[in-house]
Parts: sequence; structure tokens; C-alpha cells
Amino acid sequence: MKTWTKVISAAAAVLAVSAATVSAQDKGLPDPRHDKYVDAMSGKKVVYVPIGMGYDLSEGWWAGLQRELVPLGVDLEIRDPNWSVDAGVRTLTSLIGERPDLIMVQSPDEQSYSRVLRKAEKEGLHVVQIQMHSSHSSDIFVGADWIQVGEEVAKIAANHCGPDSSGKISIMQGVLTASASIFQVRGVYNILDQHPHIQVVSNQAADWDASKARAIMETVVQQHPDLCAAIGFWDTMDAGTGAAIREAGLQDDVFLVTSGGGHKDACDNLENETFDVAISYDVPRQALELANAARALLQVESEAGAFKYSHYSPLTVMTKETLDTHRLNGACWTKESIASK
Amino acid sequence: MKIEQSKIVAALTIALFCGFSVSLSGFLTVDNLLSLLRSVSVLGILGIGMALTVISRGVDLSMVANMVIGMALAIVIAQPGVMVAGGLPFWVALLLGVGFVVATGAITGALVAYGELPAVFATLAMGSIIYGIGRVGLISSDSNYLPADTAWIAFLGSGQVAGIPMPIICFLAIAVFFAFILKRTTLGRYIYAVGDNPIAARTAGVPVRPTLMLIYIVAGLTALVAGLLISGAVNQINTRLFISTMIYDVLLVVVVGGIGLSGGKGGMSNVFLGTVMIGVLLNGMTIMNLSHTQQNLIKGLFLLLAIVVDTLLNPRDEQTGQQGDI
Amino acid sequence: MLGLRMNLELVRKWRYQLIPDHVVGEILEKRWTDNAIPIVTLAGVIAALYLSIPDFFSSYAITDYSRQIAELGLVVLAMTIVMIAGGIDLSVGSTFAIGNFTALYCVHILGMHPLPAFGLTCLSGILCGAFNGYFIGYLRLRAFLTTLVSLIIFRSIVDLLLQKHAVGIMATFPDSDLWYEIGEGDLWGLPYTIIATGMIAIFVHILFSRMRPGWHIMAVGGSRRSAHNAGVNVKRTVFLTYVASGLLCTIAAFMFASRLSSASSDAGNGLEIMALTAAVLGGTSLGGGRGSVAKALLGTAIVLLLSNGLIRLGIQGGASSLIFGIILMLAVLIDVRWLKNRGKILNKVYVSPTYMRLPPAPETGAGGSSPYAQNDKLHHVEIIGLGEIEGPEDVILDENDHLYAGTRHGDVVRFLAPDHKKMEIFAHIGGRPLGMALDADGNLVTCVASMGVYSVSPQGKVTKLTDQTNRSWSSVVDDSRLNLADDLDIGPDGKVYFSEATKRFDTHTWAVDCLESRGNGRIVCYDPATDRTRTLVSDLIFPNGICTSHDGQSILFAESWACRISRYWISGPSAGKVEPVIPNLPGYPDNINRSSDGHYWLALLGMRGPALDLAQTIPGFRKRMARRVADDSWLFPNINTGCVVKFNEQGEILDALWDLGGVNHPMLSSMREHKGHLYLGGVSNNRIGKYKIPDAEPNWTGFTSYWGRAS
Repeated sequence: MKTWTKVISAAAAVLAVSAATVSAQDKGLPDPRHDKYVDAMSGKKVVYVPIGMGYDLSEGWWAGLQRELVPLGVDLEIRDPNWSVDAGVRTLTSLIGERPDLIMVQSPDEQSYSRVLRKAEKEGLHVVQIQMHSSHSSDIFVGADWIQVGEEVAKIAANHCGPDSSGKISIMQGVLTASASIFQVRGVYNILDQHPHIQVVSNQAADWDASKARAIMETVVQQHPDLCAAIGFWDTMDAGTGAAIREAGLQDDVFLVTSGGGHKDACDNLENETFDVAISYDVPRQALELANAARALLQVESEAGAFKYSHYSPLTVMTKETLDTHRLNGACWTKESIASK
Repeated sequence: MKIEQSKIVAALTIALFCGFSVSLSGFLTVDNLLSLLRSVSVLGILGIGMALTVISRGVDLSMVANMVIGMALAIVIAQPGVMVAGGLPFWVALLLGVGFVVATGAITGALVAYGELPAVFATLAMGSIIYGIGRVGLISSDSNYLPADTAWIAFLGSGQVAGIPMPIICFLAIAVFFAFILKRTTLGRYIYAVGDNPIAARTAGVPVRPTLMLIYIVAGLTALVAGLLISGAVNQINTRLFISTMIYDVLLVVVVGGIGLSGGKGGMSNVFLGTVMIGVLLNGMTIMNLSHTQQNLIKGLFLLLAIVVDTLLNPRDEQTGQQGDI
Repeated sequence: MLGLRMNLELVRKWRYQLIPDHVVGEILEKRWTDNAIPIVTLAGVIAALYLSIPDFFSSYAITDYSRQIAELGLVVLAMTIVMIAGGIDLSVGSTFAIGNFTALYCVHILGMHPLPAFGLTCLSGILCGAFNGYFIGYLRLRAFLTTLVSLIIFRSIVDLLLQKHAVGIMATFPDSDLWYEIGEGDLWGLPYTIIATGMIAIFVHILFSRMRPGWHIMAVGGSRRSAHNAGVNVKRTVFLTYVASGLLCTIAAFMFASRLSSASSDAGNGLEIMALTAAVLGGTSLGGGRGSVAKALLGTAIVLLLSNGLIRLGIQGGASSLIFGIILMLAVLIDVRWLKNRGKILNKVYVSPTYMRLPPAPETGAGGSSPYAQNDKLHHVEIIGLGEIEGPEDVILDENDHLYAGTRHGDVVRFLAPDHKKMEIFAHIGGRPLGMALDADGNLVTCVASMGVYSVSPQGKVTKLTDQTNRSWSSVVDDSRLNLADDLDIGPDGKVYFSEATKRFDTHTWAVDCLESRGNGRIVCYDPATDRTRTLVSDLIFPNGICTSHDGQSILFAESWACRISRYWISGPSAGKVEPVIPNLPGYPDNINRSSDGHYWLALLGMRGPALDLAQTIPGFRKRMARRVADDSWLFPNINTGCVVKFNEQGEILDALWDLGGVNHPMLSSMREHKGHLYLGGVSNNRIGKYKIPDAEPNWTGFTSYWGRAS
């Protein structure tokens, strides 16, 4: 009896082992890179700190980050300072204490976050800066090259306002100390300085606020009914700029150039001729690059700030005529379209 | 003879007007005067609602919240897929917006009338709550664009009748309507009585609490009308207006026009006066090529001047000053 | 059945002895109960955050919060100071922005050392505050409007300056370590900024609680008109509150600037709403007169923890606005309701009766064998000062036979010897004089209701002897202050023994103490040699009359509602002990005085009745009565009929004097023997009686009895 069972069990064991070997050979090999990748992602805490939620850019990036990172098991969190610089600093300070694996932050201005970001780096926290950077450079910057944006919009405006026009141009900045204003205005003047007949009649800050932009522009178009072109620094804000122009009945006379993320609202405004030209820095693509930056930083084992690089977004010039082409390339997005891609 | 603040402001306004007419070319033209009025008519409409609450010895700091959220709510509801797959006709959505504003106005009114909260705090808190409810519940982005079927709103916001821009017509029509209510109807008498002396009014049989509730509902409704005009003019409403200092401008229009914060005094003429004064001032400064910020500064100084002159001519006495009257 | 009733009564007795009901009313009376709601809110917020965010209170985070509290706390303090004075400062945020700009401009662009930069920043705040203060304080503009306008003006100034200098500020990094250290450095984990704010807060607290300028601010906020009429310079006080507000805001801004170096136009935006919310959450009232540093800091902590918590929870802007709105509304609602109803609740719960069972009252029927038997001996007394005097609670005569009595008007009056027809005001004290005694130097020592014990020299000079005793630590309210000193006597060593009838009620409501019948009173001794006052016996039930025994070894004292006389030994072998003398009187005893024959006179101010005696055993009944019935319909002790009795050292009743006709002296609170006559006083009488005592020693005077010689 006993020998009989032993034989059977031994045979079964042999069979089982050989079956296992055979199946392993059939189904390929485990990839150490894969395991490392999965380990590097799953359960990691990434915190996203925009200057505020509820506007196209921050919603677009968020939708993209969720789409890319959540399936990998990344614990993605959002902290919304709701346009308050102070709340933003408090958030970052508290994050230094919490020690997440990665912080992705958009700075409201050059200065306010720089001290706390430097501190975060010293404490060994990886930081990705989004779109509007702080004067302190972190590991990776993903966003528009503001000098280039400024030069592009200025070129378009300057081309439109030839020597036969009044040559009057107005500039609508956002928050004066934001990188998107400081460097963009530098870019604008880089070009405008080459065109002596162009005269900047107004250079004011609307703090990214459409209603403030409208109030300012109302004044400007009353003071200068012969305004040739208006340069705006952000399409959402410039919806107000455009509205003031339209209210003054100058929609056909004042050429409005702006820039933004290429959201559907911007396309609509091109369509209804509130904007004449909108430059897009392509938020869906930025969101993807942000996700890639996160993937990279979660895998590398280097110290925070060990290497620093910027990833500038390519720019697209959109006009009413070219809208259809851009739509094909993913412009005129909504956060739903990004999330569902 | 007691010189009322409204007369001082009227004198200042006329002085400004004459000064600008003489010194600024391009001020005294029909086009400019119309654009002057148009630019402040939304402020004026909000001022009408604010005036009603101030006359009843209250204040409504939640008006801007009602304006942006009520309007944005209507826009969002009208979008396809929110309520109905194909999208609601805008006027139906707007009715829901009206319902929202009436409800919040009723709650504010109840807090002031029945909860006996100081109106400053009740409306301050309600402003936050209204904005919060709107932003949490339904409205996901700051800028909310009008749907396509709303030409009539665009007409309200930027159209003209007989050369007169619609916002001016709306402002004047609403002002005349409420002037009639205040001066010619029992409800008007009630509003003054409640503001003048709520306890005496109650003793005299005035339904103080229902009147207060009604006032806050009406204030919410005028805010919604202002929202219609704004979105008609710029094709969208931006909820971040709530975070701006617009509500202070509205309050100042009312007070500078001569409606005292202690209630029971003033009327639509004061709102008109205050609005026109701000309009003349802003317009003149615009022609003088002052920047937006410089204009704010001068506007502030001018308002201060108006209050100072009023106080100097009608000093308040230590013996008769009301406690807690700030 | 009877047994059950007895048991129930026993339960009742223990229940009222063990549970101190009166503490509820006393706690409600405390001003710090105002802070209860914010403290509970803060505790709730902390608990909720602690449970929902595990590392919310890590040591790192706490350092961080304290930095934030340092800045916002100063701004809330600024708002609180202005609100206490009855104003409001909506320009705090803009003033903050001005301070931030000034600091950054000085340090970054002018390259100044942080210290002079701090001075200039403060100066900018003082100027902003003086701007508001001048218009609101001196020109009497409305605070709400003026600061609304200055909010716009200051903000535009900052915006204009920033347009010029923001980029410049941003582009420079000052190489002053001190500059960075101010905002980021700490001392043993405590940031410098919170230390600075703490010191400022302590100073402001002392200012409000201990110093004249703070009291002026409180007075102006409490009642501007009264403050003006009381001689407070209202205009200057209001002016200074705004200056203080501006100064505090810019100090906060200096910390902010040093921490962030942010030249953003956003600095201080909406701060006025946050500060207002914090102030109101802490319990500072709009309209003035109510607020404190503690309230300001509590409110700040609640607001900051909440806003941090909401961000930490990943709640988006809209939702936190919603939650803040709801919290602000609830805070105001509770505050308004609390202020409105606190007095009502206090009125309802303040009277807290307790259990007391008196033995059956002795018989007093006329013609009976009882020593208390009624008679009409006081019917034919001589009347002194009829209609001239109001409420002579006690009377006393000096060696020159002048008759002294206290009056309801706060005077000691003197009827001149020999016929006591002429009345003059001997001394004005201000409070109502009650019990009196003459000391060895002939000074008239008297208990003054609500004021303490005073001495009046023969020349009429008034000096305060004492107005407080040691605080009893078991008491919720500070009972060191004498509330209702009632009667006194002087021991052979010159020490003044006096009774304080009740700590819980005052001269107008003293009879309500009977409804409680708790030991609210005490016997206190003042020693002129050391100028010290100590409580000897406490928890006495309305201790009233006090008399030093003839041998000077003990004092006799009466407890009115307990209807008993006891002896307290002040020297001899039993010193410090209390023993009963008369355990059960038919009425409520008042003053006790010596008689010429070595015994004691005792006044009974009213007689007991069975209804009240029964009610004393049912505290619940009296409690319901006090809550539901108007106070003029309460069951009060009878104080319309009383008598004078004489008793000996053993407590035996020797004589009783009544005025059955009720014409002259139906009610008595005091009697004093002098040269063969008994002088009668009554707390609600309009006369003093003079009764010829049959067979009395004709030359005996109280003064010689006490001090053995003529003064």
C-alpha cells in the first residue's frame, strides 16, 4: 500500500515540475524592468498644486495627469490654493512636512514660491514646475517658453500694424510678477523695439482676470479709438479684452492677439471673432509631458535638484481659418476630451 | 437749513461735469455721454438692489455671488447633457436660475429677519455659501459662455434702441419701477418704515419680517438682471467676479448717492445720482488718459471727499449718535 | 407610607447637599463663558482634523501653523482692537499690502538693513492708521464706509507702486541673513515671528485688562456716549485704535515680506474678510465693548486650521468657500443668540434653592406660657426722627448720648443729645451703612452694603478698613470681594468681627437668599494691627447679628434663615470652635447686642410661618417658583412682624417685647440699650424707637461695657 502511494506521489511531483517548466518556457520571461517600473509607480504620492482649479489649463493638466498616472497606481492628490498666494505657500510648506514623492506646482509669480521650493529641494523632494515657474529652478520645468510666446504674438501684431496703420498697440499683462508676464513682455519688446513706428499706448496688468481686463480695455479703446492691435497674455483673460473691444464697436478695427492652452473656449472665441489670433501651447501635450516628467522622476534614484532641465512646449498659431486643421491635431479640447482620450 | 448729502453729491457731480465739459475735448458729445452711462449701468442696477436693502437698514454683500452663480447656473443647466441630453432652451434654464436666486434671497432674508443676524455678516456668509454651492455642485469652470440661442441676451447687453444702448434703458426702467414701488405703494411705505425704526414699524402692524425677506429676494433678482446684462455684453460670465471688489463699488454707489447706512432714507434718485457721479468721474479720467489703477485711486479719494463734506455739513453728535452705528 | 416619605426626603436632602446647583449660575455669570463656544469649536476642529488627516499635527506642521498664526493673529488683533472700540477696519488687507511693499522696497531696492526697514514699515502702518483714525475719530465719519474707501485707496497706491517696482523687487536678492532669518528662523523650534506676536498679544492683553488706555477703548465701545460724558477723550481713543490697527497690520506684513519676499499684488487680498471671520468666530461683537486678545487668537487658530485642513483634504476652492460661509454664519448665529439669551438663562437658573428642614417653631401665642408670648410692650415708645430717616438698620449711641444711625441714602446721621430732636448728617459714605460698633478710640465702625467695613472718626472722617477677604478656592466666582457685610462687633483686642450675610445676592435682593437657604454667608475677621482680613467661618446661612460676649472670649452670631444663634470662641481652650446657643427660634434673628444686666438683646426681623418652613424642605418647589412665577409673587419670609427678645449666655429666653398693634415697630432689625432705654431700628422703618426699660441700670452704656471707661 505505502510504496504504491509513494510511487504515485513521486510521479505526480515530477509531472507537476515538468509541467511548470514547460509553461514557463511557453509564456515568456519576467521582465525586471517591468517590475521596477511598477514598483516605482504604485503607491507613490504625487501632489498637484495649481494656482487654482476651475480654469482650462489647470483642469486640462489635471485630467491628463489622472488619465496617465492613476492606472499605474500612483496616488495622485490635488491641493487647491484657489488663487491665493498665501494659501499656496502654506500648502507647499505643509507638503515639505508631509514628504510626498513628487510635487507638481504652478507658481503664481516668480518670487513667492522660490524660497519654499528651494527648501523643498534641500529636504530632498522632487519638484516639477508647470507652465509658470518660480525664480528657483527645480528638477523639471514643463511649460511654454514665454520669451518665445511674447516674440510670436508681437511678430503677428507688428505684421498686422504696418506703417500705414496708426501703429498703436496695447499690452494686457496678467499678474505683473508672474513669469508668464515678465518674460512674455520681454519677448514682446524684443520684437516691437525693431519696429519704430509701433507705439505701445497701454501696458497694464489685469491679473488674469477677464472682468479687470474688460474694465482696462474699455478705458484704452475710449482713449485710443484708432488702436491698431491689442496683445493679450492669456486667452481666458482676453475674453474680457475682446468683449470691451466689441462693446466699443471696434471688433473689425482692433486686432486682438492672445495666447493660451488651445481650449475649446479659445476656439469659440476665434470662431466668433473675439480673437483674431490665438497662440496655443497645447495643453493636452503638456499634460502628457507632465505625466512623463512624473514617471521619470519617480524612477530615478538621483537626489532632488541633481539635474535640472526645461521642457518647452511647441507653439501653434491658430486663426479662424486654420481652426479645422488644429482640431484634427487635438486643439479645441475640453477636460472631458483629455480624460477620455 | 440742513444740507443733504445727495445735494452735495449733485453739486459735486455738476461741478465735475461742467469742469470736464470745458476742459476735456470729446467729453460733451452724445456718444461719449451714452458710453459713460452704459459703462456704469450694470453698477447702477446692482445699486438698485443694494439700495433697497440699505433703505431697510440692511446691506446685501451676497449680490455679486447671486449674480455670477445665478447666471452661470442657468448657462450650465442649459448645456446639453446636464439636465436634458439635447440641452434645455435657455429661457427654461434661466427660470431655474431665477428660482435659485429667489431661494438664496429668501434664506438670506430669513437669516436677517428671523435669525436676527446683522445683515453684514449674514450676507457675507451667504455670499460665500452661494459661491461655494455653485462651484461645488454644478459650475466646473470660471468662464461660462452663453449658449447659441441667446441673441436676446446679447441684445440686452450690447444692443441699442433708438441709439440708446439697452443697458441704460434697463437701468432706467428698473429704477423707475422701484421708484414707483417706493413712493407710491404700501410696500414702499413698509420698506421705509422697516428701515426707519423696525420696532416701531412692528408695533404699528407692518409685517417687518416678510418685508425684509421680500427685499432680499428682490435684491437677488436685480443681481440676476445685472448678470444677464454682463453676460449679454461679453458673451460669458466669469465666476471669479465674486472674488473681486465689485461689491464694494456697488455699496459705494449707493452710499455716495446719499442713502444712509442707518436706513429709512433715500430712493432711486440717489442711486441714479451716485451712479452718474461715478460714471462722470471715470469717464473724465479715461479721457484724461489715466490708467485703471490711477482711476481707482482718484475715485477713492473723491468718494472720501464726498463723505467728508457730508459729515462736516451734518456732523454727528456724541449725545445723539447711535450705539453700534458703524 | 410615612417611611417612604421620610426616605424620599432623605434622598432629596442628599441630592441637594451633594450637587452644587448654584455653580451653574455662577459659571454663566463669568465673562470667560463667552469663550466657551469658540473653545469648543476649536477643540472640535482640532479633533476632526486630527482624525481625518493623520499627520496634520506633526511637529513640522505645528511650527508652520505657528508662523501663520503669528501673521494672521496680528491682523485679527488689529481688527479686534478696532471692533472693541465700536468700529470696524476693512482696510486691514490693504494696509498689510502697503506694509509688505514698504518692507520689500526698503530691503530689496534701497538695500536697507532690516531694522530701519522695520521702523519705516511700522511708520507706513501708523500713517495708514492715522489716515483712517483722523477721519473716523476726529471727523466722525462712518467707520464702515471710510475704511471701505481707504481699502480702495491703499490698494490702488500699492498697485501703482508695484507697477513700477515689482520686477525690481523680484529681481534682487538682498544678502542680509537677518532679513531671511526673521521670517524663517526659529528659537528652539519656536519661530521668531510667533515669539514676537506672543509678546505683542500679552502686551495688548495687559493693556485691555490692566491699563487705562485699554479701559478707555472698552468704555468707548461699551457706550460711546457714557464714555464721553465720563470724560474719556472719545475722539482720541478712536483715533488711536486705528493707529494701533495700522501698526499691527504692517508688523504682520513685515513678517510676511521677510518670509516670502512676494511682490505680488495679491498680498493681503481678502484679508479683511478672513480677519473679520476670525474675530467674530472668537466672539468679538460688532458694535463694540466685547472682545479680548484670547478671543482674537482663538478665532485666528480656528480660521487657520480650518483653511489649512480644507486645502490638505484636497477640497477645491468652491467647497472651502461653502464651508467657511456656513461656519461664519453659525458663529454669528450662535453669538447673537448667546448674547440675547444669556441674561435670560442666567435669570432663570441663578436662584438655586437647597434643602433645609427647621425644627417645629416654638409657640408665640399671646397669653401663653411661652417665653416668646406676644405682648404690647413696644406700643408706647418714644419716636425719634419720624419721617426724617429712612431705613436705620442699626442704631448706636456714643458717650455723649448722641444717637447714630445709617440710612438708605448712604449716610450716617446723628441725632443730637439730649432730646434727639435735631438730626444732622454725620458722615456720607456712599453705600448703605448696616451694623455699627464703637471701637476703643470712639471711632464708629460700620458695615456698608456692597462696599465693606468702614470707620468714621468722631470728626466724621471716613476711612475704609477692608473690602476683601481671602478667596475661597472652591468657589467658581472670585468671592474675595465683600458683597453684603451686615453686622459687626469688636473684640477686646480690637479685632473687628463681622458677618457677610450672603455672597450671592446684593442689598436689593437679599431676601431672595432665603429661597436658597444655602450657606452663602461667612464670618470674617479684620485685624487692624496687621491690616489683614481672614474668613473665620464659612457656609453660614445668612449670618447676620454679631455680638462679643460679656467676657470677651467668644462672639455670638445669628443665622437668619436657619433661625439659630451660635457662639464662636475667639480665645480660651475652645478657640475656633462653633457651638449652638439657641438652636431654634420662632423667627428670623437679626442683630444681637449686650444688655445692661449681663444678658443679650436680639431682634427678630420676622416670624416664621409653616408654609415657608415646609417649602424649605422642597427645593424643587422653590426652584419652579423662581423660574416660572414673577418675583413679586414669590413665597418670601415674613418681615412685617417681629420682636425683641432677651436671652442669657445659656440661650434661655428671658423676655420678649412686641408691638402687637403694629403702629410703631412691627418690624425690627436692631436694638441698642443706653442709659436705661432701648433704641430700636428697622431696616425698612422711617423712625427710631426709644423704649424705657423697666428696672434697667440707668447709667449703663455700651461703650463702658466694652471699653470700661469714657472715651
